[in-house]
Amino acid sequence: MSSDPAAHQSRHPTLKQYVGIAIFLFVVTLVEFLIILPEDFRGQGWTIAPLVILSAIKFAAVIFFYMHLKFDNRLLTWIFLGGLALGFAVTMALVGLFGTFTPSPRSYAAANAVAFVHETEGSGGHHETAAAHEPTAETETAEPAPASEVQPAEPAAAPAGGGLVDLGRSIFITGTGEGVATACVTCHTIEGMPEAIGLLGPDLTHIGTEAGTRQAGVSAEDYIVESIKNPESFVAEGIERATPGLMTTAITSGLTDADIEALTAFLLEQK
Amino acid sequence: MAHHAETGHPTGHAPAVHAEEQTTTGINHRKLLMWVFLSSDCLFFGSLIATYMVYRGQSLVGPYPVDIIDVPITTISTFVLLCSSFAMVRALAATNEDNQGKIQFWLLMTAFLGAIFIGFQVYEFNLFRAEGLRIDTNLFGATFFTLTGFHGAHVTLGIVWLVALFFVARKGRLGPRTALDVEMAGLYWHFVDIVWIVIFTLLYLIGGFDTGPSATISIDPSVLGFL
Repeated sequence: MSSDPAAHQSRHPTLKQYVGIAIFLFVVTLVEFLIILPEDFRGQGWTIAPLVILSAIKFAAVIFFYMHLKFDNRLLTWIFLGGLALGFAVTMALVGLFGTFTPSPRSYAAANAVAFVHETEGSGGHHETAAAHEPTAETETAEPAPASEVQPAEPAAAPAGGGLVDLGRSIFITGTGEGVATACVTCHTIEGMPEAIGLLGPDLTHIGTEAGTRQAGVSAEDYIVESIKNPESFVAEGIERATPGLMTTAITSGLTDADIEALTAFLLEQK
Repeated sequence: MAHHAETGHPTGHAPAVHAEEQTTTGINHRKLLMWVFLSSDCLFFGSLIATYMVYRGQSLVGPYPVDIIDVPITTISTFVLLCSSFAMVRALAATNEDNQGKIQFWLLMTAFLGAIFIGFQVYEFNLFRAEGLRIDTNLFGATFFTLTGFHGAHVTLGIVWLVALFFVARKGRLGPRTALDVEMAGLYWHFVDIVWIVIFTLLYLIGGFDTGPSATISIDPSVLGFL
């Protein structure tokens, strides 16, 4: 039995080497942590290179010493590094293919992503989100107000302009939480809006312009507001897909005045 | 303690054959198999890492990484996993020295440290869920949970393996002649460790501060020049 350990001594690092590697791994990890400790450094492009290099060094230390590839048959090294290289190539190919050559999903996300607001306030301050979160173009909304203080009855109070349109859009798509939950998209179509493909009611793709022409002396805004509050008031004629009389106050009675204001603002944008 | 050679090898192989059996490559078949498996596992994790990086910065709703990733806590669990790798090499060294007490101690220590790492992960996953990130919340959640979840599954399997070895060791069956049994578990364990080294760097140190979608590719391809 005494000869076996001796035979292994030549193929395994000594205890001193093992301890040295352990300390080395600790120190490198600590350095990595220190690199991203200053808030200004976090997520900066220049930190990527040193972090990747340091982790590659740790990686090599573990496989060559802890997994003693350095002391083992050279074939094992090639087998493992071969698989590693293939995995690395696959990773880079996919990232290159979907990241560099097809950037459209990324730009779409950048333009349409919404900021995340913590449900529990208090920590909201240091989770400021980047400008990329803000829906672009027409919406020049302020930072979303802390959710805790916003009264549910008048959500339109916080955002203005584009925010109102967005609120209207979300009501149009999902309905409202209290009272009536029927979403407008159940019955109405707006072309270009993937959610709005309902077939029971009139097509609202161009309601923003059409609404002003339906009734003499009634503005587009008044027409829409009245059509939501009292759906029976104006029944559009000559619209193919409409099922007259289906939409009643029972469907819309749960909407608050603020909801209707938002919906109207949204529908007026559909020109 | 020296009777194990006669009473049977845990694998049921010819008991008295030493690791230096004759093969065309000169490498023990089981050891070769383990390295080939680890090599292929690089492709498995490479694909999951690629998926994370491709979908990085494409989530349409939060939480985004910066909203919930806690780098300091994960740095601690990374330290723990590194410690477990050290415990693992001590277990193998003890096996080669036929020090039965140390074999059991270091095997159990390795499994224990691995379990602490899993504990950190369970805590993290629960915290993320409470803060609104589920696997179906957004692309970040889907790719993050899939990658770290599969890594956690690897660690869990390793813990089961180590605990099983501990019970083998308690029967006095581990020693220089059966050191390969410990070495194979060690290779697997260290591999899980190096996978975490990569995940920790990419998902936490680099990707953990992502604020949300940006129009540019997140990993600068020029970085590859350094490798």
